[in-house]
Amino acid sequence: MRALFPLLALLCSMQVAMATMPPKMVEETAVSGVEHTYTGPWEFYVGGGVAVFDCNGDAYPDMFAAGGRSESGLYVNRSRRGDALSFVRSPLTIDDTIGAYPLDVDGDGHIDLAVLRLGENILLRGRGNCRFERANEAWRFDGGSGWTTGFSATWERGKAWPTLAFGNYVDRDKPGSPWGTCEDNALYRPNAGGVGYQMPLTLAPGFCSLSILFSDWNRSGHASLRISNDRQYYKGGQEQLWVMTPGEMPRLAGRKDGWRKLKIWGMGIASHDLTGDGHPEYFLTSMGDNKMRTLAQGSGRPAYQDMAHKIGVTAHRPHAGGEVLPSTAWHAQFDDVNNDGLVDLFIAKGNVESMQDFARRDPNNLLLQRADLTFAEASEAAGIASFEKSRGAALADFNLDGLLDLVAVNREAPLQVWRNVGGGNAKDPAPMGNWIALALAQDRPNRHAVGAWIEVRSGRHLQRKEVTVGGGHAGGVFSWHHFGVGVAERLSVRIQWPDGEWGPWIRLFANQFARIERGKAEASLWLPPPVGKGNQ
Amino acid sequence: MGDVARRALMSVAASAATLFCDSFVRIFWCRPSANASIHKRVLAVWLVVGSWFIGSTQAEPLIGDERVHRQPLVHETVAAMPFADIVAYGGHLFSAKFTILDGAGRPGATQSEIPTKRLSGELPAFFRTSGPEANACDGCHNQPSVGGAGEFVANVFVSDGVDDADFDSLDPQFSNERGTPAIHGAGLVELLAREMTRDLQALRDDGAERSRRTGRPVTVALVSKGVSFGHITLHPSGYADVNGIDGVDHDLVIRPFSQKGVFSSLRQFTINALNAHHGMQARERFGVTWTGTADFDRDGIADEIRSGDVTALVLFQAALPFPVQRFSENATLKAAAEDGAQLFTEAACDTCHRHALPLEAPVFVEPNPLNTAGNLRSTDGATPVKVALDTAGLKRNDEGHWLIPLFSDLKRHRIADDARPYFANELLGQRFVGRDVFLTPRLWGAGTTAPYGHRGDLTTLREAILHHGGDANTSREKFEALTELQQAKVIEFLKSLQIPSGGAS
Repeated sequence: MRALFPLLALLCSMQVAMATMPPKMVEETAVSGVEHTYTGPWEFYVGGGVAVFDCNGDAYPDMFAAGGRSESGLYVNRSRRGDALSFVRSPLTIDDTIGAYPLDVDGDGHIDLAVLRLGENILLRGRGNCRFERANEAWRFDGGSGWTTGFSATWERGKAWPTLAFGNYVDRDKPGSPWGTCEDNALYRPNAGGVGYQMPLTLAPGFCSLSILFSDWNRSGHASLRISNDRQYYKGGQEQLWVMTPGEMPRLAGRKDGWRKLKIWGMGIASHDLTGDGHPEYFLTSMGDNKMRTLAQGSGRPAYQDMAHKIGVTAHRPHAGGEVLPSTAWHAQFDDVNNDGLVDLFIAKGNVESMQDFARRDPNNLLLQRADLTFAEASEAAGIASFEKSRGAALADFNLDGLLDLVAVNREAPLQVWRNVGGGNAKDPAPMGNWIALALAQDRPNRHAVGAWIEVRSGRHLQRKEVTVGGGHAGGVFSWHHFGVGVAERLSVRIQWPDGEWGPWIRLFANQFARIERGKAEASLWLPPPVGKGNQ
Repeated sequence: MGDVARRALMSVAASAATLFCDSFVRIFWCRPSANASIHKRVLAVWLVVGSWFIGSTQAEPLIGDERVHRQPLVHETVAAMPFADIVAYGGHLFSAKFTILDGAGRPGATQSEIPTKRLSGELPAFFRTSGPEANACDGCHNQPSVGGAGEFVANVFVSDGVDDADFDSLDPQFSNERGTPAIHGAGLVELLAREMTRDLQALRDDGAERSRRTGRPVTVALVSKGVSFGHITLHPSGYADVNGIDGVDHDLVIRPFSQKGVFSSLRQFTINALNAHHGMQARERFGVTWTGTADFDRDGIADEIRSGDVTALVLFQAALPFPVQRFSENATLKAAAEDGAQLFTEAACDTCHRHALPLEAPVFVEPNPLNTAGNLRSTDGATPVKVALDTAGLKRNDEGHWLIPLFSDLKRHRIADDARPYFANELLGQRFVGRDVFLTPRLWGAGTTAPYGHRGDLTTLREAILHHGGDANTSREKFEALTELQQAKVIEFLKSLQIPSGGAS
């Protein structure tokens, strides 16, 4: 009889564990039309980002994937609503690509691309219908010649063009490279009153960054630049925060500001207000010691402490595959994959190349948030525990069924796409919780309201999301802002626009796509083509 | 072990765990309380395990058992039962005076439709204003028979249960006071709403498709079953201008239940009511899937209401007979009522209180295909239960559609204005619906469901008519223009609309 109790306890605990409700993700790489691999020598051990955005105005997210020494790929989404994921490759290719981030640089309504390369970075101006043209010269953008691995953008107050930051990795030309030869980072501010950019400012010292993100950490109205650096190569380095004041040189936050030294193999940044205090937490990927940084002393000082262990997101070892060596984490993204109203965390994993002290078989993580604000691993249950060497990735609703799908770029292995079929299967997908997908619109130049905060309220539950460009690992999503809302049928949304002005609470019903335009008290609903139709 | 075998084993184990955990709580009530001792709970554990092993079953009677809901059932179990048994079971639940042993009360949760923790503080088990305030469904829904309306004493106070969950004031700034409507005929009403939703959304989607195809904006008149819900303009980009939509939410879902018209299905209404009025929480809304716990309301009872219980309650309500017209045996009164029907139309009362709406298919399928998360869906794996509702006595139109004499358009209207402010006597909007806007009440059964008005504070039909304002001004003025005798005939007509005796069928 004694032996029975552990069994009973186990069985009862299983009931609780199932509360996280993993979605079922069906891998559709083979039939998706995407054939893409990120390859190359050690300069391409890092990178492999993917930019997800709508390049042809059909509201279906398309994607541009870096190729390293292989060709980059622009994949135009041809999926039908709710159906299998389907893409067609566009002729656009660029060599030596490490990553890419989408944003509307010139405010013309077409999404542009900042392409990160080994060598000159390129700004591609979107021309509509997934056509792009090089804009470095037209926008007076000096793309440099470094090894660029990070990008972020913000609209500084009153500026007609965004301020761009490029994060660089190792300077291979310095003596002793790569040890202690980190390259400085670059900041591009727009020309005063004109088109394009001034010569870049140097953000020194550089500590071999692998991800950078403009984020308004203290809700001051001004984004600061968080840089996550790879301790593998720097000497005397640490994580960094550049404080941006309009019209002034950026200033590196130090001990007097409350900044606490942190050394990790920083590779990716994901941000979200997890604690509900109105300020973002930052998940920093690393090799083994992933961090979840939260404010330690309120919003007055950028003093951060860690809460990864407390909420169960250390993800420091492979959760499957049998290896016990530390994991290597790259891209990370917060989003709600099961629409239960609790944001989840995806982490792309994979050995750098053949590092003996780190796990070789290192599956991606899908950490589902539970009602008590802790997270539980569900990658295997969801079907996305790939053992490839994943790098960049993106959660996005490619077939506009209200469920976030997944793309992961792998090093020396084919890119993978998974369709989220919710509680069903490939043949009969089934919804999970309710959701809302939002687009923001305001007058140019910052048409898509980068820097805004979105608040979604359902009952007493309030979700907040900062609209950012940057972070992740070498790529990001610029598409519908997706919120799961659980069992809520009605919800209210309001926006704090980038200049700090609050919009009104706008009422919406769940399971819809809606655009919120500045100055309007009601949202515009967007109707995707019916299930199984459209987007051809 | 193969993947399939391992999954099957896990599935069986998980089911066993669920069964065991549920049974543990249900067979031997071990509700934590201030007086409960750990020793008693340990003893209970041993009793459970012992009983489990020696084969004790829940079917065995327990001396002194004060539960009324001994074995919650899952949907599949109920779906496999003969329909008469489902209705009987649903009827049992509808009349059950739930006890704390069943899970009545919600010390840790509010009445909100979204699982919401109660703010700290002790509250009595029953609370008139924020609930729970009723023992059984038919504690209020009982006139003239089970499932019917309630008189003023059975009024409830509704609020969202989010910001002002606990209050002890009847001041209308905290809640809206509502009378108890009759449920008879609700199955047919839900079917009408489903068809109207289908129609409106199809019109919208067709307009969007045409706009995309032609590259031009398309404006579509939103009309279903002869009822206009305004218009919507679709643009080639896929965006919609919804400002012209009238009397229905922007998602074009007809929500025919509650006086505001905010519930789309009997299931949604039932789950909300169980929680708000009894503190009986349905697993499909408040259970582990959405809240991470089987006892969200912290009353010590897990999974108080299962999916099959809700299904049975829904089908019981859906099967309640629809109201009929029953004339007085007195020839004078009968003739007056017949004249009154004509005058009702002449006064344009049927502009909103439509005599009948045509129903294409009187087959009730549960769960409702339009259900969203938190209400059992067929996509959750639930086997649909299909029931042909009783249509005996209903007329059919030329298209063979059944004419449902509900005397409503299932549309919301503004019913008050400065000149006639009576029906704007609420201070709180409800679920996005304005204070002076209400669903056109169904008048079938009006002769047996006094008092009137959404607050149940009008003792006569005449008062209710004369308080009509807003969109109903024209009709009211026409009624007022009638002679006294003609007005009396309209009243006599309304009195002839009655809920029949007898239960669900």
